[in-house]
Amino acid sequence: MTKKRQIKFTLIRTLVAISIALLVAALLIFISSGGSTFAEKLNATKEALKQMLIGPLFRMSEKKGTSFEAKRFTEILAAMIPTTFTGLSVCIMFAANQFNMGAEGGIMLGAFVSAMAAIYLPLPAGLHPVVAVLLGGLAVGIVMLIPAVLKAKLNVSEMVCSLMLNYIIMYVIKFLMNTYLADKSKGQIMSFPFRETSVISPIVDNKIFSGSKLTWGFVIAMIAVVLCGLFMYRSRWGYAIRMIGINQDFSKYSGMNVAGTIILSQVVGGFLAGAGGGIEMLGRYNTFSWSALPGYGWTGITIAILAGNNPYMVPLAAFFMAYLSKGCDLMATYAKVPAQLISIVQGVIFLFFAAEQFLSGYKQKLVVQSAQEEIARQNAAKAQEG
Amino acid sequence: MPDGIPGTKDEFVVQMKKITKVYPNGVAANQGVDFNLRRGEIHALMGENGAGKSTLMKMLFGLEQPTSGEIIVNGETLNISSPSVAIAHGIGMVHQHFMLVPSLSVAENMVLGMVPTKSGTFIDKNKAIEITKEYAEKFNLHVEPEAKVMDIPVGMKQKVEILKALVRGAKILIMDEPTAVLTTQETSELFVELKNLKNQGYTIVFISHKLNEIMEITDRLTIMRNGRSMGVYYTKDVTKEEISRLMVGRDVVLTVQKDKAVPKQTILKVRDLEYVNEWGKKMLDKLSFDVRAGEILGIAGVEGNGQKELVDMLFNFNIPNSGTVTVNGTSILGMPQQQIRNLGVSLVPEDRMIYGIAASASIEENVISDRSNEKRFNNGPLFNMKAIHEEADRLIKEYAVLCKSRKQHVGMLSGGNIQKVVVAREFSNDPVLIIADQPTRGIDVGATEFIRKKLVELSRSGIAVLLVSADLNEVMELSDSLIVMHNGQIAAYFDDTANLTDEIMGEYMLGLKHQSKEEVRRVCHD
Amino acid sequence: MANLLKMLATPEFFWSIIRISAPIIFATLAAIVVEKAGFANIGLEGLMMFAALSGSLVSYYTKSWFWGLIAALLTGVLMSLLMGFFAFKLKTDIILVGIAINMMGSGGTLFLCKVITNLTEGKPMASTTGLITKSLCIPDINIPLISSIPFLGKVISGHNLLTYFAFLFCLLTSIMLYKTPLGLNIRAVGENPNAASSVGVSVLNIKYVAIAFSGLMCGFGGAFMSMAYAQGWSLDMVAGRGFIALAAQAMGGGECLGGMLSALVFGFAQALGIKFSAIGLDSNLASPIPYAITIIGLVIFALIRNNKVKKQHSAAALKN
Repeated sequence: MTKKRQIKFTLIRTLVAISIALLVAALLIFISSGGSTFAEKLNATKEALKQMLIGPLFRMSEKKGTSFEAKRFTEILAAMIPTTFTGLSVCIMFAANQFNMGAEGGIMLGAFVSAMAAIYLPLPAGLHPVVAVLLGGLAVGIVMLIPAVLKAKLNVSEMVCSLMLNYIIMYVIKFLMNTYLADKSKGQIMSFPFRETSVISPIVDNKIFSGSKLTWGFVIAMIAVVLCGLFMYRSRWGYAIRMIGINQDFSKYSGMNVAGTIILSQVVGGFLAGAGGGIEMLGRYNTFSWSALPGYGWTGITIAILAGNNPYMVPLAAFFMAYLSKGCDLMATYAKVPAQLISIVQGVIFLFFAAEQFLSGYKQKLVVQSAQEEIARQNAAKAQEG
Repeated sequence: MPDGIPGTKDEFVVQMKKITKVYPNGVAANQGVDFNLRRGEIHALMGENGAGKSTLMKMLFGLEQPTSGEIIVNGETLNISSPSVAIAHGIGMVHQHFMLVPSLSVAENMVLGMVPTKSGTFIDKNKAIEITKEYAEKFNLHVEPEAKVMDIPVGMKQKVEILKALVRGAKILIMDEPTAVLTTQETSELFVELKNLKNQGYTIVFISHKLNEIMEITDRLTIMRNGRSMGVYYTKDVTKEEISRLMVGRDVVLTVQKDKAVPKQTILKVRDLEYVNEWGKKMLDKLSFDVRAGEILGIAGVEGNGQKELVDMLFNFNIPNSGTVTVNGTSILGMPQQQIRNLGVSLVPEDRMIYGIAASASIEENVISDRSNEKRFNNGPLFNMKAIHEEADRLIKEYAVLCKSRKQHVGMLSGGNIQKVVVAREFSNDPVLIIADQPTRGIDVGATEFIRKKLVELSRSGIAVLLVSADLNEVMELSDSLIVMHNGQIAAYFDDTANLTDEIMGEYMLGLKHQSKEEVRRVCHD
Repeated sequence: MANLLKMLATPEFFWSIIRISAPIIFATLAAIVVEKAGFANIGLEGLMMFAALSGSLVSYYTKSWFWGLIAALLTGVLMSLLMGFFAFKLKTDIILVGIAINMMGSGGTLFLCKVITNLTEGKPMASTTGLITKSLCIPDINIPLISSIPFLGKVISGHNLLTYFAFLFCLLTSIMLYKTPLGLNIRAVGENPNAASSVGVSVLNIKYVAIAFSGLMCGFGGAFMSMAYAQGWSLDMVAGRGFIALAAQAMGGGECLGGMLSALVFGFAQALGIKFSAIGLDSNLASPIPYAITIIGLVIFALIRNNKVKKQHSAAALKN
């Protein structure tokens, strides 16, 4: 198949998958929307969908009409920070065929360790957040050695192991918070405030950027995207990770260190999730008060699937998910449709994206078309020679 | 003699007429093949690997459909669209790789898909055992109905397979290389059983290339070569030598120009290699040989005589029970592949799709898989993309890989071009030893010629080449010296291939002859 | 410490182990059957969430726990068949299908709950706990004679109907797998699909049956969670039991009895955690124990398995 056709197919497939998801969403909204007559329901559905699809960028009011909302846009970008990191994390682990689900616990642990560093390490501004985030990343990287080594050496399922680790991490953090680290003067369980020096500040210090928490973390996330892209496509380690993901026997025969690479992919993945957690924590909050897993890990898995495990596509997928999430929030506020609709939309898109045979008939048609053209060209060339 | 007249005792139960099979990729596996079976005979179907005998039998059993031709079973022209049609017409097949479920008992395997029940709900285990026992006794095939299949020896597994076919009403049994997995003891047991079945009126197709066995057990034989039938014979009327001549031989002799080899120091030294596989069959039996720099040592032999196991040992895909293997004096048994490669060993693997390539990666990514860590391709932590592009483009050009660009996925290429990618990588990293395992199997003539020329060229430049090939043409034309493997041993060593004939080769390959120990020992150049 | 031991040696404690283990047992049976058929269903968590929600809602609207239970079972089966469709028909990696179901099972159930019950106003969280009264829950059963046995009676009697079902299903599943033609086919398909199809067993149909069975078990598990363990559905109430079941399946060697015992170990660990908090210790210290035991169990299981393989190899070599 030609490159152009390949792109065409990918594009159409993406659009069809998203359309199906939106159709399911519309159907659910229609069923759930208020109104007694069909027309009323239809109208309500239209309003809700409008909020969901256009709302994230534009404010719609009856008096002023539709206007661009810079704050909502920056909020979407800010929401991309943690999910870009988990998306990258999952990309690198899935590329090696390692179904490690630890990004979820990883981001919480990274956030926690970074928060502790922000509270208890006296460091100068500038250096402080760097050290804190690195510690968060390292902590998770080290924890990910457990599923990684068990997989590489004993063939223990990294999936079950990492899922269990998520729960262990959550409970241990809750225990440490409850017992030792909580600020007992507060009504709910939260840590002491972070030191001023540890704050990751907004990119521009104005109302919009500060309010939406669009911090330098976003820039770091984009740098991480480029670094991960370079790592995966321009370094021997990323190359080994991808080859092992495609064909492990081939990699072994070629002389690659298969066990080492399996471990590496999960440790790097863990580091990314942890660092993402730290950046989110120090950028958005000033105390640590998470009492449950934040869900960014699962979003990261969706992002990795949408991005086809390609780090460079992660920002696009993360933006899409953040946009969708914001849309659902707005829909909840203005159209009274619960925001959790996003879970279903996300799940449907995910399923159709991962489905190999989805639109396979159409793909087959394109392949045949290409093959026929190739043959025609060869025949023409032969005719010319003859 | 009137042949196959209905109602007579030599009536045909199966007639396959002018069968042609062309696979979608254009390979003609069968061309106008005639084949027939008489009631109550044991009929050998013989031929080298790739001669088309398996394809022919797959069509009779409904696993493949003929492109043209006619299949008549018991006088009825049939369209055998699936194995169930074949089974319904009394045709059963015992596959070389057993179709058994290891954790189920023998009796359960027997009745799978046709389970007897008590009151329609529960498996009637006793009934299943009873059925198994009944058939086992009737055909004198001793099995343990209650043992799990994974716990029984290979010979018994085969009996279960035969019984499975019989219990489904098979009157015609196709046995695909049944003795390949058996020990000598088990083989003689099997023969007793097969004769027994024959006496009870069953018809048996016996696919094999072991001459002694065929002489012992079969009534008639059909010989195939290159997808065509070479004729039908009464076993008692032909000699082993005649069979060997019909079976082994080259239709088109491609010649490769080459100078006389000037062998230098020994590179690969294999001594007393022994390996017993997980079913207890001895696959390598005190194997010893040397490969010297500047020569091509060929390993000929019918497949399944230990060649695969030998190559596995040489690249640490398996560990032998005893023996030593050294490359330039360094022992390589159990050594990680990377270190073996660092010693200058290259391997063109037998199965290119499993080991040779990563199908959904680009040509470029495939040609650097063994050298991605080398300094010349890395600038600090990052790849030196320019050097990698150059390397890929150079190899694509040098090895004439037909592709759109270095970015094309290898899986999209034709078989010949895929193999060129593998060869380009394996030949280009300054090897001291190249192990080429079936390097031209299933690829087009152009690519075949190219790869063979390259092998000669490389050996003349001082590289040691070990060529393992079941393709007689290839191994005889390319090799400077040659060993024939049979039953895990070296049956013959020829230090000069110039005067070798197909007949001589056939006799050693099929186990009719065996050189003396002294003659064989000459392959060790101590 | 002595105090704790005294608290543990009570019939109530053993009773609670059994109660806590029940949903894990259901999910473990689900994991066992699909594994026998040759694949993994990691969507058990999500399936149970959906079943739990639909069970409690239908129970509320029909005013009958029986119809609630039926609805939970149907939900489990239908959703699992949908999973099968994506996995077998559209060739989606079964692991990814499982992840998708789990994703939807978390937020998606909350969405459905809010939409159906109209509890959206002003509440970020919704649950059906306010709707389900004791009478809408699946009833507890007192076994007349056994309940009068000292100690043991108090451990065994007085459980929820579904708790007894859980143990009954261990037996029934085992019988199904080992005594019926269906079970034989499932095991054959899982181990050697070529062998199965060569004798006319439809591999695809058997896989659908297996995944539907796992859905049925998740239906029971979900119904237990929202109509027995708790009164009503709430967000993420399954809390990893679907994942623990995957580990229990592996630790139990893929068999019903082993799986049940592993599930009981997790039940014990959880019951212990509850007791910890009862004597003033932080429950967060005890809660991770079952998850940690899972990892340790998997490691031990892997070590035993690897050893076995090694021994078989050397045995083959020794024969000659």
